Amino acid sequence: MSLLYFDPGLGAMIVQGIVAAAAAVFLFSKNALYKVKLFFGLIKEDEYDSIDIDENDTSVDDE
Amino acid sequence: MTSKSDVHEASFRDPSGHLFYDGKTLKRRILPIYFKQYEALKENGVFDTLSRKGLLIPHKENQASAKEIILTPEVIPFITNPYEWSFEQYKQAALLTLKIQKYALTKGFILKDASAYNVTMYKGKPIFIDTLSFDFYEQDTPWRAYKQFITHFFGPLVLAKYHGTDIFKMMQTHIDGIPVQLIASLLPGKSKLSSTLYTNIHLLAKMEGKHNDDYKAETKVAKLSLKAQNTILDSLYEYIKKLSLNEATEWGDYYTKTNYDEAAFEAKKTLIKSWVAPLNANRIIDVGGNDGTFARSLDSKAHLIVTDIDAQAVEQNFAQAQQNKETNMLAFVCDVLQPAAGIGFNNTERHSLLHRLKDYAPDVTMALALIHHITLSGNVPFEKSASFFASFSKYLIIEFPKREDSWVNSLLVRKREFINHFDFYNEANFEESFKKYFTLEKKETIAGTSRVLYFFKK
Repeated sequence: MSLLYFDPGLGAMIVQGIVAAAAAVFLFSKNALYKVKLFFGLIKEDEYDSIDIDENDTSVDDE
Repeated sequence: MTSKSDVHEASFRDPSGHLFYDGKTLKRRILPIYFKQYEALKENGVFDTLSRKGLLIPHKENQASAKEIILTPEVIPFITNPYEWSFEQYKQAALLTLKIQKYALTKGFILKDASAYNVTMYKGKPIFIDTLSFDFYEQDTPWRAYKQFITHFFGPLVLAKYHGTDIFKMMQTHIDGIPVQLIASLLPGKSKLSSTLYTNIHLLAKMEGKHNDDYKAETKVAKLSLKAQNTILDSLYEYIKKLSLNEATEWGDYYTKTNYDEAAFEAKKTLIKSWVAPLNANRIIDVGGNDGTFARSLDSKAHLIVTDIDAQAVEQNFAQAQQNKETNMLAFVCDVLQPAAGIGFNNTERHSLLHRLKDYAPDVTMALALIHHITLSGNVPFEKSASFFASFSKYLIIEFPKREDSWVNSLLVRKREFINHFDFYNEANFEESFKKYFTLEKKETIAGTSRVLYFFKK
């Protein structure tokens, strides 16, 4: 890293491996639940945009 | 070279460059240490895409030499800070930050910091304002701004869920974010049962505590794959998206329990509109403006600021502005009896509310159904209120509820044996005090009420 202008915290850097593992489980179960809800027609429209930005989409993000 | 005094007072932490005033124009100077990053970001279309999407403040490059590159960012009329946001505003600011970080990764960059002050509210939504927050991504490195994201965004949001939005005011005493240990200690025990809260907060607090005294940090390098980092970003995004508050409102249903009928309500709107319209104002502020009902009824193209003490009212205003795609409405939380102070280094890193209001210099200030609260709940003498409004307003439209008004009455009754101390609360005294700072242009009783509307000019 070239610009360490504040201390990111070593603990915070190490912990991200464990956070990611838990996050994977969280997303997996969320996804599974989504599929179940979808099957039973229980899905409400999401009022927020996806985290991913579509560069080719020219519309303004109106989140 | 700009003289040192022209450098913006909030802009000194990042050695990559800083904001400065060129006359009255705010510009950004990029120093050679950041040239490589800047050119790469430009080439990869990061600035273009993000500003086209309304996620990053657009800028123009004015000049580029071997010594400096100068940018002029689009002007934001008024900067609000995290401790002035409602829950939804805060939440959208957090989601925006994650979104930009994830996008940056696809382009080979990262956000090198995740400060909540990188975001402000503009044109009805949050926007990223720190153009120099990007740096190159290095293979398999964890996100160095992760902890900052937790202390500036995730922690305050989760705490607000349990304790209400007053928690955001802690950002005033902790300019670097609420410390992780403090967040962990304020969360209920059951939060440890959530894998997201356990890992992102409790475990983080533990690890930070353990490695706090580790000064040989550079010898230990933690690794994290790009995929794993994206997983963290996705999960935080999903979790924050679903966060909500369960807080009762002080004024949320105010207009349904007002002491005057619909006709009087409409009469008040018409009167105000007829006074404001001829002024051709560019900037209007409604102090204590609840959910923006009266500001909206002006039908003005001017930039509108509506503040309220009640975060729930601000929340409703913000939602309405987004729904109607109003780009000129700016809502934020403000307690007139305790406006946000100047904080940070020299007390100038984040300016006080009054400082910002004086810079903003509204053409018209409205204070409707407010003076009785300031005077009778806050015990502020009329003259002090007058001096407060005079410090930033040119035209002032202020409503004075007389003693007969039921709201005033209930505030007076609460004074119990001290009720006689408030005998000064009457029209004559009010007028006399305000005339020391303003000239009285017009006054009119709102039909069907015990309230008088005043139009003052400084």
